[in-house]
Amino acid sequence: MSAAEIRRDRAWRCPDMRKQRVKDVLRNINADAFNDVHCWVQSSFNEIRSNGMLDRAKATRPYPIVTNPISKQLYTGLVFTKNMELFDDLLTFEDLGLHLKSRGCHVANLSSFDFSAKNGIDGCLRGLLRQFVKTSLDVADMSVLALWYIDQGDYDNPVVVIIDDLERCCGSVLTDFILMLSEWVVKIPIILIFGVATTVDSLRSILPSHALQCLSCHKFILGSPAERMDAIIEAVLVKRCSGFSVGHKVAVFLRNYFLRQDGTLTSFVRALKDLSSERPVSLPETVLKQLFSLPSCRRNGLVEPNEEIFAQGLADLKRLQNLWSSVVLCLFEAGKSHEITLLDLYCETLDPELHHSRASDHHLGPEAAVVMSSSDHHVHGPLQNHVFISQVVRKVRLLKLSLIRDLPLVSLNQLLNRWEKHTKGIIEIHEKVRELQSIVKFEDGKALKRELTDISKQVSFFCAFVLSYINTLKFCSIEKRATSLNSEGKYETQVITMVFAPYYPQGLVTSPGWLQAQGLYPREPLLLFHTATVPSTKRLKTRSNPSVYKNGKAVNEKAAALIDFMVEKYMQPIECIPYHEIICFKNVDKLQSALMGDPRRTIQVDLLEFHKFLKCSCCSKNSNIPFPSMHDTSIMYMLTQEYGDLINLHDWYQSFKATVLPPRIKGKHRLKHSPSPKKRKEAKESQNKSEGTVHAATTGSHACTLQTDNIDIMTVKFCRAVTELQITGLLRMPSKRRPDYVQRVAFGL
Amino acid sequence: MDINDADDEEFGFSRNYFLSKELGSSGKKSTHKLSDINPVDEQELREAIANIEPKHESEIASLMNSYRSLYSKWAFELRHVLTLLLVDLFCQCKTLEDFASATLTEYGVLVINGYLQSINLKQMLIALAELLWGQLKTQRRTPSGNSSKVQQPFNSRSVDDLLAFLDGPQVEGDECLVCVVIHNIDGPGLRDLETQQYLARIAACSNICVVASIDHVNAPLLWDKKMVHTQFNWCWYHVPTFAPYKVEATFYPLILTHGGTTQSVKTASIVLQSLTPNAQNVIIFNNLYTICRERFLVSSQVTLNSHLTEFKDHELVKIRRHSDGQDCLYIPLATEALEKLILEISQ
Repeated sequence: MSAAEIRRDRAWRCPDMRKQRVKDVLRNINADAFNDVHCWVQSSFNEIRSNGMLDRAKATRPYPIVTNPISKQLYTGLVFTKNMELFDDLLTFEDLGLHLKSRGCHVANLSSFDFSAKNGIDGCLRGLLRQFVKTSLDVADMSVLALWYIDQGDYDNPVVVIIDDLERCCGSVLTDFILMLSEWVVKIPIILIFGVATTVDSLRSILPSHALQCLSCHKFILGSPAERMDAIIEAVLVKRCSGFSVGHKVAVFLRNYFLRQDGTLTSFVRALKDLSSERPVSLPETVLKQLFSLPSCRRNGLVEPNEEIFAQGLADLKRLQNLWSSVVLCLFEAGKSHEITLLDLYCETLDPELHHSRASDHHLGPEAAVVMSSSDHHVHGPLQNHVFISQVVRKVRLLKLSLIRDLPLVSLNQLLNRWEKHTKGIIEIHEKVRELQSIVKFEDGKALKRELTDISKQVSFFCAFVLSYINTLKFCSIEKRATSLNSEGKYETQVITMVFAPYYPQGLVTSPGWLQAQGLYPREPLLLFHTATVPSTKRLKTRSNPSVYKNGKAVNEKAAALIDFMVEKYMQPIECIPYHEIICFKNVDKLQSALMGDPRRTIQVDLLEFHKFLKCSCCSKNSNIPFPSMHDTSIMYMLTQEYGDLINLHDWYQSFKATVLPPRIKGKHRLKHSPSPKKRKEAKESQNKSEGTVHAATTGSHACTLQTDNIDIMTVKFCRAVTELQITGLLRMPSKRRPDYVQRVAFGL
Repeated sequence: MDINDADDEEFGFSRNYFLSKELGSSGKKSTHKLSDINPVDEQELREAIANIEPKHESEIASLMNSYRSLYSKWAFELRHVLTLLLVDLFCQCKTLEDFASATLTEYGVLVINGYLQSINLKQMLIALAELLWGQLKTQRRTPSGNSSKVQQPFNSRSVDDLLAFLDGPQVEGDECLVCVVIHNIDGPGLRDLETQQYLARIAACSNICVVASIDHVNAPLLWDKKMVHTQFNWCWYHVPTFAPYKVEATFYPLILTHGGTTQSVKTASIVLQSLTPNAQNVIIFNNLYTICRERFLVSSQVTLNSHLTEFKDHELVKIRRHSDGQDCLYIPLATEALEKLILEISQ
């Protein structure tokens, strides 16, 4: 791979592209719902139009036209977002607006901001007109909108008003708006769409009944946040050619950020955006040398700068990354029915430690992993890591088991089709999947054939039995032997016995209903005994045919073996691959600080550990105790740590003075004794010599000395530090009740 | 960050809080008075503060200089994320302005000083719109949409119209043209919810990018989730400067001057000297209505009350309920201060 190719690849990491990709994914997820909304809008519009069209003169009259109440109905779409926070769906409603616009509708997106009590009905009308008419008006009036609509020429397109957060709108303003629109709907074909975060009850709680009567509602439901999250992860982080990856720690941080912050997709997408704008490593033109100093290269013994090795390394990186992403997607497909989210799977499959431990613990066997996974997941300390690792092992094992035991042939076929799609272009896996697919198809065909034969056999057997039953009306038993694989992998034989008796009210296999339908009424009870666990005909049929069962299981086992093979061989986390630093972002602290800021902690750390930033030699040695050379505000803040929640100003002042002015030189620093500049300089030098690091406070300008000859420099410094702490919000100033005390606001970092 | 870390942190917070409360209540409370420290003249103190020799001057200079290497990164972020927030300790003005002048040369830049006591939001929007309009003109792009809208001067437009203009589709792609530099977005002049909501809407405009600094530990409490996640979209940077708050501090009261006798006398004498002679007499004698009437100072109870209201407003006089239920007027000044005051007034 050449340097040009690297740069081209870097273009993939461009934040704009990523942003667009996230947008596309979200839009695609909602595509079906959007189409439904559009169909409904169109049919509603046709309904409105069926009431007749108005001419220009009538339509622009400022007073309402007397019509029947049905024509006052406002068609209203309620889009349920299923989210905790509505802002997660703001983009959805923007997209819905664009979707409808692209289909020819006139669309305005309003928010609760337009329906505030402060702005009133005038505010929302202005908002509406601003979006349609696009000129600022002195008087907001619906007749302007009617005129505008007529000017659009044809009466072919509806006017859609989307209000994205119904719950936050002011009820009275919204009521007025609805009543007003209902009067005008005959003139302007307005259709409303509300975004509803909670339930349909919210509409009832916000609007009075006379406003509700104007609405003719239709419900729409959007995709769940979990589905959307999985789609975003797949598109941005897992899919091949994303040209961008994150380390395990960053992935775990993203997951925690999503789960702990507020569980909103928006916050997660924001984190991704911030991440996208980070550059994993800076690539200078002389990349080669630097690349070979990357830790991953040193770890893998690649220390010799060699262009060929480098090119091969990059090609391998891309190939292995593609393999990894295919395996993750295959695992996800298999685990979908087990409620395994892609986010969890993604985090776990990125763990390099898991990869190493899997490689080393392979000989331990499955039991070890299962034992570990059964332990408490909240264990602290080093054990926790093992437990975490074991979770994915357990999951993979569960997946395998589920494949072996539960997956019917049809579902397996579907799964393999999806695997085929995900592994396209990856010869190593794709071939195997295709092979398995053909086996499944063959088995499926064979099974179908056998099933048909079985059914015909069953029917003939059943008919014979019914005939014998009718003829003899005696007890009859059927005994069947079924051989199957048990949970331990051994074959066992079950004896299935069916005893039919005439009095049994609801036979499952031999239904009295069927007999009755044939005009036959049993005189004796019908009893059914069996040893099989599921008394269905299908189960009995399968059990009754061990060869099909065995073959089906064999295919399932092969599928399980394939996924095992994929995991073992190709699921190599990015951080285990040489040169991964080029595309992998691993700095979790950087992301955290860019995303969260945490000013409360940061500002305190700045004050308490300021020497780390200034890197001065004088303060670093005595970082934990206040020292005269330190920044005044830092000294003051350090001193506050010795107090409770209230600080006596006088005491604080005295301790500040004692810290800054050691007893020996106390009293020499009054400005009124300020010597001439020359003397001052000498004094400063001698003081610096004697104190090592003490900065003299007496070197103020001459003007200052003249004006402040009554003020102690300590007072000045003290006052400034207090004000600075007040600005940062770390102190509450003295109140009238406690004039001698300031109050601490922050306790600990 | 782990779950346990977060739990520990939370526990640490609460523990520290209760420990400090305990320390405050159990320990022997200090009886020292603030008045034991000699109060100083505010003006002189402010001048002295302005002239304090800074510590670690060279280290601070090199720290500030080190931030210059981040400018290209910030500019990159600004182009894509559109909003930067600098968590600050101490004055950020220099860094922000240096960044703006060094990097944002192709943008129109508007600087807002959030530390001022009041900021006219409408004026700010008008300035932004004019700046954008100028930028568009220099780039020879006429805003699409209605041309009549362009004709209308910005200062006669409504806030919403201005915001709509700033968010307009004038520019292709995501390129933004105007940068708002806000010193102290958490400053006193911008601290109310409505202003923050408007700022969030400005930040969300397609043609605007925002660089701001915060100083207050609780600044994030100004924003709700919608503002944070969909409008501001802050990208945080920790940029301590350790430079003194020179301008910002002038808007805060100073501790050792506040409530001091000198200050009160000075304030009181200024207020008193600006009163009419009759009103001055009322306050000096502070007597019953009858006395005032006898001396022809006031002609009615209404006049006396109006004078008293004014005095109360300026805190020259306060009312205290006497034990017998009567309202008593008193002057909240110490005897010496009062003597000094009379002396000053009579001069």
